[in-house]
This record gives sequence, C-alpha cells and structure tokens, in this order.
Amino acid sequence: MAGERELTSAATGELPKAASPALLSVRELAFAYDERPVLRRISFDLQAGEFVGIVGPNGSGKSTLLDLVDGVLRPSAGEVCVNGKPTREYRRRDMAREVALVPQHFTLEFDLSVREVVEMGAYCRGKDAHSGGDAELTLARLGVAALVERRFTELSGGEKQLVVLAQALMQRAQLLLLDEPASALDVSHQLRLFDLLQQLNRDGLTVLCILHDLNLAIHYFDKLLVLSDGEVAAFGPPDEVLRPEIVEAVYGVRAYLHKHAGRTYLTFSPRLRGERLGRVHLVCGGGTGAGLMRELVDAGYDVSAGVLNALDTDEETGSELGLSMAVEAPFSPVGDEAHAHNLELMRAADVVMVTAVPVSHGNERNIRAALEAAAAGTPVWAVRGVLDNDFTGVTAELEPAGARLFADEAGVLAALRERARRASLTQP
Amino acid sequence: MTSGARTSGRLGVALAVVIFAACLLASLALGPVSLSPLKLAHYLMAGPGGSAPGSIIFWQIRLPRVLLAFLVGAALSVAGVILQDLFLNPLTDPYVTGVSSGAALGATFGIVLHLAALPWMTILALIGGFATLAVVWIAARRRGKIDIYVLLLAGVTISYLVTAVIAVLMIRAGEDMDAIVYWLLGSFSGRSWPEVKVALFALPFMIVPLFFAKEMDILLQGEKRALELGVDVERAKRVLLVTAAVLTAVAVSVSGIIGFVGLVVPHIVRLLVGPSHMRLVPIALLGGAALMGIADLLSRTMLAPAEIPVGVVTTFVGAPLFVYLLRRGRA
Repeated sequence: MAGERELTSAATGELPKAASPALLSVRELAFAYDERPVLRRISFDLQAGEFVGIVGPNGSGKSTLLDLVDGVLRPSAGEVCVNGKPTREYRRRDMAREVALVPQHFTLEFDLSVREVVEMGAYCRGKDAHSGGDAELTLARLGVAALVERRFTELSGGEKQLVVLAQALMQRAQLLLLDEPASALDVSHQLRLFDLLQQLNRDGLTVLCILHDLNLAIHYFDKLLVLSDGEVAAFGPPDEVLRPEIVEAVYGVRAYLHKHAGRTYLTFSPRLRGERLGRVHLVCGGGTGAGLMRELVDAGYDVSAGVLNALDTDEETGSELGLSMAVEAPFSPVGDEAHAHNLELMRAADVVMVTAVPVSHGNERNIRAALEAAAAGTPVWAVRGVLDNDFTGVTAELEPAGARLFADEAGVLAALRERARRASLTQP
Repeated sequence: MTSGARTSGRLGVALAVVIFAACLLASLALGPVSLSPLKLAHYLMAGPGGSAPGSIIFWQIRLPRVLLAFLVGAALSVAGVILQDLFLNPLTDPYVTGVSSGAALGATFGIVLHLAALPWMTILALIGGFATLAVVWIAARRRGKIDIYVLLLAGVTISYLVTAVIAVLMIRAGEDMDAIVYWLLGSFSGRSWPEVKVALFALPFMIVPLFFAKEMDILLQGEKRALELGVDVERAKRVLLVTAAVLTAVAVSVSGIIGFVGLVVPHIVRLLVGPSHMRLVPIALLGGAALMGIADLLSRTMLAPAEIPVGVVTTFVGAPLFVYLLRRGRA
C-alpha cells in the first residue's frame, strides 16, 4: 500500500505547473454518501486533448468520480475545476456546454424517434442549437446515420449506446465522460466504439472513460487512472500503472504480463500468491508443460520447473507466470549447475510431475533427477506419453522406481485434486 | 414505419382539433332545449341582452356551463400530463398530490359552515388545496431538492388522511350530508358565470408547460440524465408542480372531484401524437376539454331532467375508449 501512495504522489504531486491551465483539475477531492465515504484525496489533472481511461474494481468510486466531474454531485471536500472554474459555480446549462457524459444505464420507455432523442443533447446550446450540426450529421460521424428516423425503443443495445453517444456529442462539450460504454457490447461493437472514441479524440475531444477490460485499457488509452477503494492507486501511461503488482494490490487477483506480436496484454488468475496448497515440480519442455503450469497456478499451487532451456516455450510461459525454474542456456544439454538447481527444487516439491516431453541425451538428466526424487520418497507422477518419445530408454526405469503413470494430463490433475481433498480431510 | 408514425402524429393533431370543434358545437346545441347551429350563431352575435327564451338559455345556462366543463377538462388533463411525466408513472393523476383532497376538505368546511356560496366555496377550496400542497412539499424537501417519490407517497398518504377528516365532517353534518356527497362526486349542475370567472384563472397556467416542453421531453429520461444534459431540474420541477397544483385546485374548487379525465386523456393523446410535449400538451388540453364537454352533455341529457354525476359519465365514456386505443396501440 505504501508503494501505491508513492505512485500517487509521483503521478500528481510533481506535475510541472503547465503554462495553460488544465481543462480538468481535481484537487483533494472527497465525497461521501451520507456518512459513507466513497472518494478520498483524489487529485489529478487532465490537459485538453488527452485520452484517459479510469479503471478499478467495482465499488471503487469510478462512477461517483464522473458525477463529481460533471457537477451532478457536489464534493464533500476539495474541488473540481473545469477550465479553471469550480463546478459549483457553473449553472447546469453552462456545465453541460463544457462537459458531456454518456451514462452507463440509459432508460427511455417513451416512444420517441432517434432524431428527437439525439436533438435533446443540443438543449444546453439553446438558440444556437443548430450551429453545431444536426442529428443526422452527428449520427453520420458515428457511422449510423440510417438510424435517424427509427424509434429509439426499437433499437438494439449497441445502437442505443451509439445514439446516447450522439446525444452527448450534440452538447459540443470539450470534455466527454463515458461510464463503461462497452459493458453491454459484443467484442466487435466494443472495438468499433473505442476506435470511434479514438477518432473523436484525434479530432480534438478530451476523453475520460471508465472501463473494466484492462486489456482494452492498455491498448487504447494514453493514460490510465487506477482507482482503488476511493483513492487514486496510480495515474500514468498504461504500461507504468498496470504492472502486475499494482493490479494484484488493487484487484486482489494474480496478474501476468505477456508480450505477444508487439502487444502487451494481461491475464489473470483468481487467487493471490501465498495461499499454499503445496508445491509441484514439473519436468517438461517444448510446450508440453505450459498448460499444466497455468492449471496448477490457477488451482493455487506453488509451481517450479526444470531443467528448461531459455527461450523454450515452457520456459517463457514459466517466467510470465513467475515460476521458480532451473534454466540452461538455449539449445544446450543440461549442465551440472542447472542439474543441481533442479535437484534442489525437486527436494522442495510435494509432487514431481513428468509431462510427455521428448527425452534425448540433452535432457536425460531431468528424468534421472525425477528417479532420484522417487528414491527419496517424493511421489513422481508421469504422463504415459513420455515413454513413447524417449530416445534414451531412461523412462523405462520410472515405473519400477515407484512412479505412477497416467493416461493424460487430466488424469494427473484429477489425482492431484484427490490428494488435496484427502489432505484437507486429515488436516481440517 | 417511421413516416407512418409522423403522419399519424399530424393526423392526431388534425383529429383532435376537429373533435374539439365538434364537441364544442354539440355541447352548446344539445340539451333539454336544443338550439340549432344557426340560432347559436344568432344568439352569439346578438350578445347577452336578448329576451328570447333561447337567448336566455344560451347566455345564462348553456354557455357558462359548457365553458366551465371545457376549462375544467383542459385543466385536469394538462395537470395529468405534467404529473405523469414528472413522476414517470402512468398511474398518476392530478389527485395524487393531495391537492384535490385538500380542496375537497375546504369545500366541505364551506358547506358545513353554510358558506356554500361563491366566492367562499372557491376560496376555501383553494386554501385547502394549497395548504395540502405546502404540507406535501415540506415532506418531500431534502437539502433544497424535491424528492419526487416522497412527494408521491406523501400526497397519497395525506389524501387518505384528509378523506378521513371529510368522513368525520360528513357524519357530523346532518342534513348537509347530501350536499357534501353531491359536491364530492363532481358536477357542473347549476354552475354559471361566477364559476367560469374562477376557472378562467387556470387558463394562463395551462400555457406554462409549453414553455417547459423541451425540459419535460428531456425529463422523460429521468432527473439525473436531465441534469447531465443541462436542465435546471429543480426549477423545472418547482414550476411544473405548482402549475399542476394550481390547475387541480382551481378545477376542483368549481366542479368538485371529477375523476378519470386527468388520468386517461394524457394516455390517449400520447397514443395519438406521441410523447413529445410540444404536441402533447396542446392536444391534451383540447382533448381533455372535449371529453369533459361531451361527458357533461351526456350527464344532463341522458336521463333529463335528472342529471347523472359527470364523474360517472367521464368514466363510462373514457374507459372503453382507452381500452380500445390501448389494444390498437399494441397491435
């Protein structure tokens, strides 16, 4: 938690005083519903033209923050300034000219046309409503001009979302706030919506958008504001603020950072480190262990592996998952040092598993290590396929040494679950 | 489909105007003594001084009564539009705010205290109506905002309370009880120019919602969305609620409690011309007036010389019409 505080101050406190005032400036903002505090000590600035996402767990105060920025709610302490003027000094109509909001839920059960709904957005513009372009043009900008004569109640969820966005654009505000605009959309509509928002941003709109999908957040936004329990946990470029340790602290899940095809993305597993069910050591390689690694980590086991060559698929998966591994140089046979490390890891393990890895002279020592573990009394469970891809004959010694053989990975995992169940019965 | 909806909107406007004119003509012409349209025109041009029986009937009885029915019908249905759309509740009518019960209590006091003549009845009814509104308003006020749901609940609750007080008064009233019951049922019987003058007071308030047509449209999306779009929601609510209360109190003070018009006319008109208030408010005004005019015509002609309470007739006319339109709207 101390780390988060430092990040907060680093992200907000040391901002150089910009020559032009920030479009949005939030200072020491606090808000409470009745006596229940929702937001505390929120401070950040938004410059005109920025494209910023807000992420954070449910109940972290994201929507409340947007309502405060839009002036719909009044701060309990601190202030929100738009163009240098506190929101409480704005009349509603003037506020709507500066800040537009696309709400998460939108209900309209009356039989109005899409045109009528979109034109409501121009209300704050009063007499000069039409100078900002009419409903058709705004809908055309979003690629849905054809909707203009339809009845709003007949539209699909995705179409309604775009119509409400068009309504907000009719305000011609500088700052657009969106509250989980993608939550009701399928993946193609999601991407289309964020592409649209990016386009609007390039045309000069400043965007502040709540979203739940951290990978969309990383991919699309210039900056992210991470809210946790009513406070700013981090604020900055996505790759700085969505580091696995921050995600874990904020969301309470394990997070893993992957780089694939030039993109960074996160994957998650539900448990936090430290809930020890036991330790499993994997003898694998060439991608035969990647699936098991993930399954075991998600199930809550401490997992080690070895010996693996650097750059091997299993080695890369293992390092993304943060496993302890005995590693050898690429394309080299297992050397003494790696072998010793491997034996050490196996001694710490409750179970040693052998996948259907092809066995040759390069990795024969790994099987020898497993045999040693079996001799020392550690259960050794092997997938039968390992016998078929053996070019050395060493695996024939597994069964006589006391190793259990399983038809496939599913069998190994089932046996592991059974073992955990029995352990929990004997140790309530 | 869409152009169809627009045409039916324009058709609805034309239809409402034609129906309104026809109802006005029929209400003036028909009665225990029927007057032909030609005679109507003649009496109207000649002015109120004529000594012919027809002229006296037209100027002293028929015209004020018809005008009163039209004004009360218009006031109630405009109030109904305002309240249904503010509460976003289709079951709302002008009587839920408690204003009508308060007005009824005021009028009941007038009858019991033998002040049952104008202007006392009207003054007492208006005082009763506004006093109730004040109580409901204070109950619903939190931190400078009116909580619309508390207002609804407080209004319904105070209506029950006031009705209980009226019941006690009726039991104590003795021979005045008939007068109270008849007043509560609602009627235009025996009403003349003094009541019309009171009802005319409602006319400017019927125009008020037209100045808030855009705000009312936006409020169909809920108060929060209206705030986001820049509507001064509290101001709009204050003005519109007071407007609805004045319309209701004035209507009740001259005619008693006439049900159904304020509930059903807004729905019927919404089905015909859509929910947009620039059309809805004026057409509901005309439609409410026409329906009330026809109801009063039936109430004084069907069992002539006896009269059926007009509130009974509005229900008999309105209910089947409403069910028909609902079914047509769904189809």
